[in-house]
Amino acid sequence: MNRLPVRAVLCLGAASLLALFASACGSSGSDTAPGAKTLSFTITDAGCDPHDTKVAAGPINFAIESASSKVTELEVLDGETILGEKENLTDGLEGSFALTLEEGEYTVRCNGATDEDGTLTVSGKLKGAGSPEVEAAIAEYRQYLAQNTNELVAQTKPFVAAVVAGDVAKAKQLYPAARIPYERIEPVAESFGDLDPRIDARENDVPKSEFGGFHRIEKALWEEGTAKGAAPVAKQLQADIEELAAEIKDVKLQAVQIANGANELLSEVSASKITGEEERYSHVDLVDFKANVEGAEVAFEDVQPLMEGEDKQLATEIEDDLATVYASLEPYERNDDVGFVPYTELTKADTRKLAQGIDVLAEKLSQVPPVIVRVENG
Amino acid sequence: MSPLSRRRLLTSAGVGAAGLGIGGAGFLIGQETAEASAEGTGTVEFYGAHQAGIATPAQDRLHFAAFDLVEDDPRALKALLEEWTAAAAEMSRGEMVGDVNRMPVAPPDDTGETVGLLPSSLTVTFGFGPAIFERPALGLGARRPAALKPLPPLPGDELNGLESGGDLCVQACSDDPQVAFHAVRNLARIGRGTVVMRWSQLGFGRTATTSRSQETPRNLMGMKDGTANIRAEDTGAMERFVWVGSETDQPWMRDGSYVVTRRIRMLLEVWDRASLEDQEQTIGRRKYSGAPLTGSREFDPLDLEAETGGKKVVAENAHVRLASATVNDGERILRRGYSFTDGVDQSLGELEAGLFFIAFQKDPEKQFVPIQRRLGQFDALNEYIKHVGSAVFAVPPGARPGGYVGESLLG
Repeated sequence: MNRLPVRAVLCLGAASLLALFASACGSSGSDTAPGAKTLSFTITDAGCDPHDTKVAAGPINFAIESASSKVTELEVLDGETILGEKENLTDGLEGSFALTLEEGEYTVRCNGATDEDGTLTVSGKLKGAGSPEVEAAIAEYRQYLAQNTNELVAQTKPFVAAVVAGDVAKAKQLYPAARIPYERIEPVAESFGDLDPRIDARENDVPKSEFGGFHRIEKALWEEGTAKGAAPVAKQLQADIEELAAEIKDVKLQAVQIANGANELLSEVSASKITGEEERYSHVDLVDFKANVEGAEVAFEDVQPLMEGEDKQLATEIEDDLATVYASLEPYERNDDVGFVPYTELTKADTRKLAQGIDVLAEKLSQVPPVIVRVENG
Repeated sequence: MSPLSRRRLLTSAGVGAAGLGIGGAGFLIGQETAEASAEGTGTVEFYGAHQAGIATPAQDRLHFAAFDLVEDDPRALKALLEEWTAAAAEMSRGEMVGDVNRMPVAPPDDTGETVGLLPSSLTVTFGFGPAIFERPALGLGARRPAALKPLPPLPGDELNGLESGGDLCVQACSDDPQVAFHAVRNLARIGRGTVVMRWSQLGFGRTATTSRSQETPRNLMGMKDGTANIRAEDTGAMERFVWVGSETDQPWMRDGSYVVTRRIRMLLEVWDRASLEDQEQTIGRRKYSGAPLTGSREFDPLDLEAETGGKKVVAENAHVRLASATVNDGERILRRGYSFTDGVDQSLGELEAGLFFIAFQKDPEKQFVPIQRRLGQFDALNEYIKHVGSAVFAVPPGARPGGYVGESLLG
């Protein structure tokens, strides 16, 4: 849940690794998914050999041998996004990397060769993708998405109306409830290009002229103490939320993305909620905190039936850690419109305890996607 | 998965690296090797009768961390030390931690910042704080060594509670700062849920010599520090002052030691304004040669009785006098400290810097405590320093391959 095209999601790790030390998305060794097919390529002065090739969808090992002193790397690309590569292979050297590829047409590029680009055609479905368990997990999560987008639309309406009417007190009162459904499904919202920055950017995240959405209104209500001038921003927010709801209806999902989404939500907590940066004017950060955790919990629960055998132990631990996180939030819950004490009332010791709970839970949740991808790939 | 050396990962992307991991698990009892540590290429054996990082020639960099247990669960403590031991052994050999490091959809077990770096003489040394013996649920009360007590309040203490104490400690030393940092970071990650880091300290330069093969370094006061330190080659002194022997009330501590750490903030701005003569009188040594005021070369004998014009040459309150074995009933400690700086003391606009003092000994009550009591009360150096952090830990003996550090206590 990232702005990469969906079929590149299985190789998300590669994007960051590439920047660091130009390693490939994966490599040979015991980490390779069982049942991976091997495609062998030779790098020559003329280009990649074979030039064009076909393979069935699934985990693939790319075994590369260089027969050129001039051309020393081979890349697999989806459009212009590098999914995997092997560099610095001079004449006689071998290397490999692994990718899991979905149906589609990819480019195999030998940089600097006479004819650089060949085609890799991947056909068929990922083996486990069509299994009833995987489909059920995806269907469950879709339902959760639908429920929250409906709620988001419903909660945003009166909030926007209050802003447009210039009723600061009422808008402030309605603000937290509108945040909750968005924060529960934030990673999915983030996958639609500039919709998330339009809806949820914080000041300085975007150029000043583009600062709009929830937090622009939050600033007006709490810091500037007026809704004057915020009406156009509020109306745009309503339109963006409706666009988001429409986009989410057709979103293409894999089970591993749902599992990754759970991680993303906790990263959100660590990065901006526990630091009080998200709701810097209203200080309702704990509202978002809990919504993020709830979203992560549902995402996890939806894929949990796919975790079998020894992975069940991991699932049990995650359930315990979730309970710990909820318990750590309890002392700060209040029976009012917001539902929580303001972030500014937390001491360092308080935030430290909350942050530790999230770190423990997130470390374990980050182990779930590899389990799910194994199931999904059959 | 077979061990994968970090260098090899980079040079060949690990293809066919299986079985080529360097530094097999040779078990050299009581032997620590630090070949070519000057070039940072050495590998120090993790396993042995004693933990590495005590008698090992002091490496250039330090990352020290203290942890608190989240829950008093003896099984969790044991599991943690098993995992920490395995990871520390891997890192000491220059291998990556864990075995999931190449799965595209999984976060790698190893955090990766040492890929391509040599082992750099990394040592990882573990210790137990006094508090773990006081928790009924851990059931260790009867195994508490008499020598392990929280340090008593000492003269000159200005301790900050959050920079003191701890249930467990990890001392990571290496000739490469990133290798030392990586060790603590990965152990903290492994410990998540079981322990939480209480405080940590980076040291950028060693201030002590623990081997005859090393030159005496200078501390941030510009003084040679540790000229009279115990040298690892002096096995008699190591047995007498550092390694726990048959005298212990707790056999599980045999071949272990006790470490005292003190975060000593130096008031460098004040020190820098002191005349050269004042600086030398304060310490009792010449600034540039390191020679005692009663000699002309660094290793000339320190003559505490020498007088000139009816006054002692080495003043009664000179640091070397008060720290000397002669004044301290013959007691000595193995110092292994590091210089640190943590930016700016915001309340003063001055450098937040000093010495992270580390000392190993058989019995802190008989060694560090009386020495520091004397120093804290009388030392001329007190005008220029403040002790702001303090901790003590029992450092158990080393582990055998297949075993873990702390097995003699928890096994």
